[in-house]
Amino acid sequence: MIEYYTFKHSGESDSYKDEVYLTVVPSVTVAVFYGSAMKTQSKISPMMFSGLLAEVSRDCDFNRMCGVLDERLPGNAEYLVLRIEGNQIASFRRGGVSARIVINGDLRLLPNGIFGLNTGDRILVATNNFYKYLTNEGILADALVTDSCSEWMNLLVRRISDANQLKCGNLSAVTLLVR
Amino acid sequence: MPDFTLLPDQTILLIEIAAALFVSAFLSFIYVALTTILSLLKLRKTTGTDTDNLLVCDVAYFHCKGKRDNQEDSVYISHLEEAYTNGVIAACSDGMGGLLYGEVVSQYVVEKLAEAYPMKFDDQEANAETIRKISTEVYEQYRLGAGATLVMTHIMKNMMNFYSVGDSNIILIRKGRATLLNHKQNYVSLLIRKLAEGGMDTSEAYRNSRAKALIDFVGNIETNVIHTSRPIQLYEDDIIIVSTDGVTDAVSLHRMSNILSADYGAKQLARILKSGVQNKKLPKQDNFSAVVIKMDRSLI
Repeated sequence: MIEYYTFKHSGESDSYKDEVYLTVVPSVTVAVFYGSAMKTQSKISPMMFSGLLAEVSRDCDFNRMCGVLDERLPGNAEYLVLRIEGNQIASFRRGGVSARIVINGDLRLLPNGIFGLNTGDRILVATNNFYKYLTNEGILADALVTDSCSEWMNLLVRRISDANQLKCGNLSAVTLLVR
Repeated sequence: MPDFTLLPDQTILLIEIAAALFVSAFLSFIYVALTTILSLLKLRKTTGTDTDNLLVCDVAYFHCKGKRDNQEDSVYISHLEEAYTNGVIAACSDGMGGLLYGEVVSQYVVEKLAEAYPMKFDDQEANAETIRKISTEVYEQYRLGAGATLVMTHIMKNMMNFYSVGDSNIILIRKGRATLLNHKQNYVSLLIRKLAEGGMDTSEAYRNSRAKALIDFVGNIETNVIHTSRPIQLYEDDIIIVSTDGVTDAVSLHRMSNILSADYGAKQLARILKSGVQNKKLPKQDNFSAVVIKMDRSLI
């Protein structure tokens, strides 16, 4: 079972331009779109990103889904897509969105590809703007002292808040825990 | 003393040559032995086995009185000679100034920890329960009339668990960057959560007059002990600081990153940190105590 918690905050910006997409059926698919990082006028809105994902994630296998996204999203779109099936996780990222996984008391970047998952594994998916105010040691410590994804997220948000009172632009993140 | 003057010149020459050969052979031996030892040490550093890769804790502490009437901080460090078998435990407890008997409670907390030593490294829940039990004992004695904070690290074989109640600090400095590992259990946490969930900025939370009020401490009922469920990996040159808030009130994490270099040993680091607090000359300087642990490579 996968437990998850999402966090979306405009960070005192006029609008929220990122997007967090999540489905759990038939498999867990998580995607984070870094719309606030697109400096040029975006040809794709966050809602369009979700719509496209909803369309392709239902029937496609992961590689095909990533291929379609790559083809239909503009070249400067930054996003990450994860799919969890059984005890495997597939990851594909482009640009300033990344996933980090807690392994053996350490925090590692999840590269593109397919990897095994174990019970108790914890994963954070977030935009660079979310990571900017955190250290790996802080993310790790918060992961290891909490029992749930929401608690973990709350502690991370507290750290960002201590740095800037959440006045830092769009913040988007998902915490995942393998039960 | 032998009289060499009676020997023929040729024999003296032969003795001198023999002595010179002996000295040069001896020096060569020393050179080869030193080179071998150094290369072996270098090899251990890069391709060592698990035992070779074990780090050791270089530990130092300070325990100083600020402008308060009483010293309400207490410090505990476990027996370092048992580090390999039972790990190294370092703890700081800060008696709550607003309540009575702060110094008595903090002292009681560290004495109870000493009694509980050795603790099982991998049974974090049992160790948290030990702390909860201490808290319950304090509660039964003082009925919320006295309390203390507690921060404790347990380091064993390059891994660290930590335990925290209240608003003292466990800081990890890695690659020149200081991170507070434990969150302070104060009211501002609740306010931040509420504001963030409402999509607002959190500046209002920090302005709240009760922002720094503790929501948990040793001496509370059913204390929530923040603790790691699995240990954190430690690396060579990591610096861990277990301290009361008297230290961080005077020296910010950013400042710590700047003044505490991994080039120093624990003793020197503790001395620099202590001077940093004293040099700040805060008019209401709280008592300040810290255990400084530097992770070093073992040569044994």
